[in-house]
Amino acid sequence: MSVFMPSFGFGLISAAVLAIAAVGFTMQFAVTNVLNLAYGSIMINSAFVTYWVNRTGVSVWLALFVGVACGAVVSWCLNRFIYTPFQRRNPAAITVVIVSLGVDLIGTFGLQAIISGSDVSYIMSQGRELHILGMDLSVVELIIFAICAVVLVSVRLLLKFSRLGKAMRATAANRSLARNSGVKTDLIVSLTWLISGALCGLAGTVFAIDAGTFGATSAELYVVLILAAVFLGGPGEPYGAMLGALTIGLATEISAAYLTSDYKEVVAFLVLLGMLAFRPFGLFGSEKTS
Amino acid sequence: MSVELSRPGVVLNASGLSAGYEGRAIVSDITIEAQPGHVVSVVGPNGSGKSTLLKSLVGVVRVLEGHVTVDGKEITNQTPEHVATLGVGYVPQIDDVFPPLSVKENLEIGGYLLKRGDVASRVEAVLAFFPKLSAMLARRAGKLSGGERKMLAMGRVLMLSPSVLILDEPTANLAPLVATQLLEEYVRGFADAGATVLIVEQRAKAALRISDWTYVLGGGRVVLSGPPKELEQNPVFVDSFLGGGTRR
Ligand SMILES: Nc1ncnc2c1ncn2[C@@H]1O[C@H](COP(=O)(O)OP(=O)(O)O)[C@@H](O)[C@H]1O
Ligand SMILES: [Mg+2]
Repeated sequence: MSVFMPSFGFGLISAAVLAIAAVGFTMQFAVTNVLNLAYGSIMINSAFVTYWVNRTGVSVWLALFVGVACGAVVSWCLNRFIYTPFQRRNPAAITVVIVSLGVDLIGTFGLQAIISGSDVSYIMSQGRELHILGMDLSVVELIIFAICAVVLVSVRLLLKFSRLGKAMRATAANRSLARNSGVKTDLIVSLTWLISGALCGLAGTVFAIDAGTFGATSAELYVVLILAAVFLGGPGEPYGAMLGALTIGLATEISAAYLTSDYKEVVAFLVLLGMLAFRPFGLFGSEKTS
Repeated sequence: MSVELSRPGVVLNASGLSAGYEGRAIVSDITIEAQPGHVVSVVGPNGSGKSTLLKSLVGVVRVLEGHVTVDGKEITNQTPEHVATLGVGYVPQIDDVFPPLSVKENLEIGGYLLKRGDVASRVEAVLAFFPKLSAMLARRAGKLSGGERKMLAMGRVLMLSPSVLILDEPTANLAPLVATQLLEEYVRGFADAGATVLIVEQRAKAALRISDWTYVLGGGRVVLSGPPKELEQNPVFVDSFLGGGTRR
């Protein structure tokens, strides 16, 4: 009991961070049809952009917007100048997956070379510690929750009620039919890279805030947790990704409290495999969306 | 029953058309025409290139040779999203709805090119035409029955009040009664309201009954064409498509 509630608190925060990342990832994957394994390296690079702005004396909560913009622009460029040309030469989905893996390594270790390997922290106050139901949560952690809530509600409103969001879902469901209906799917896909890239940049900065100290390789295996959350919920399902993130966040942090944190990714995949045995298309997924 | 048309009286025309995948022609030297108020049907065995022909008309499959015109305007190899703006509605043979989207959202995407304020009233108009859909607006399209799904697929293209309707085997997998109703009531109805209808249909007899003109495709070419009355007299056609039983 004494370890359980605090680790439950950690789990909720991890889940909030993971939910932001996973919702962006699942949206990107569903609409653009690219399984972008470089997502984690764009996250950490965006976190460092926030860091560099923060170093100049700007509050991390404002610098964060520069990190978000970085994620959006980098993701868009990545698609425009790397993925799309490769896709044009070889349309097999696996090609882009391999290319994205290469981009991930270049992004991570390129950054490592630039910052010469040292870990850093944002200049910020953690705020008061609060004790809620046996969990120790700082003000900063509550802000992370709030950001997560705002993101999830906004994504829901976008996808459910806006013309752009409906066009994104139509493009994800049946790109050819969307075009027959007059949807300029190339434009929709470009906008999706910007939006999901912005979420990636946001997730990176929030991840770094939550981590406290971070380095170029801190998010190296994070994409594994994202994939587990996304496929747990059913790929292309934002609510599924959210629920997947909650499950994975809690499972990894609580197991870390009882075992060791070295097994996080293993635990995430055990949860995923266990669930996929019962629901092959994820919690929310159906045959059609996968 | 009425379908409002954006521009009545539009002729669809293809001449000397060759089209296919990866530069390899599946259909060759096709010349067809469809007039306003007419149902023009395309029949032929499986794999003869009927779907490929329709896809090449609407920009889904690349045209290698020849021309496609709508209302005299060249649309050869235009993007599908551009063809949609010209009042040409296309219902594919498979993957004809957005399964995860609700019925209402499917119709809204059909009206994507409309002015924002016009979408809701147009949805109402299409629902008046397919009243069965009104009761299932919130249902995911993937959960509809075959007949409901086809109605939704046609409702989606009707959202833009097309003057040309291109339908690829709309009755496939439908129960015979539903199929007959769809063809005789709706498809014939579109043409009677002034639309130009081009339809691919497996059920040759049913197709002839509603058609003004029929093209027979074989091995990617038009092997026979004419008004249904004439084809019904043609022994080759009767033997291969009408099961030989209806001669004389
Ligand atoms: N996407 C595709 N890529 C390559 N070949 C195709 C594709 N779709 C259909 N074909 C080929 O084109 C030929 C005609 O197919 P199709 O136009 O679907 O015929 P039909 O509609 O008359 O049954 C078939 O031999 C089929 O194998
Ligand atoms: Mg076909």
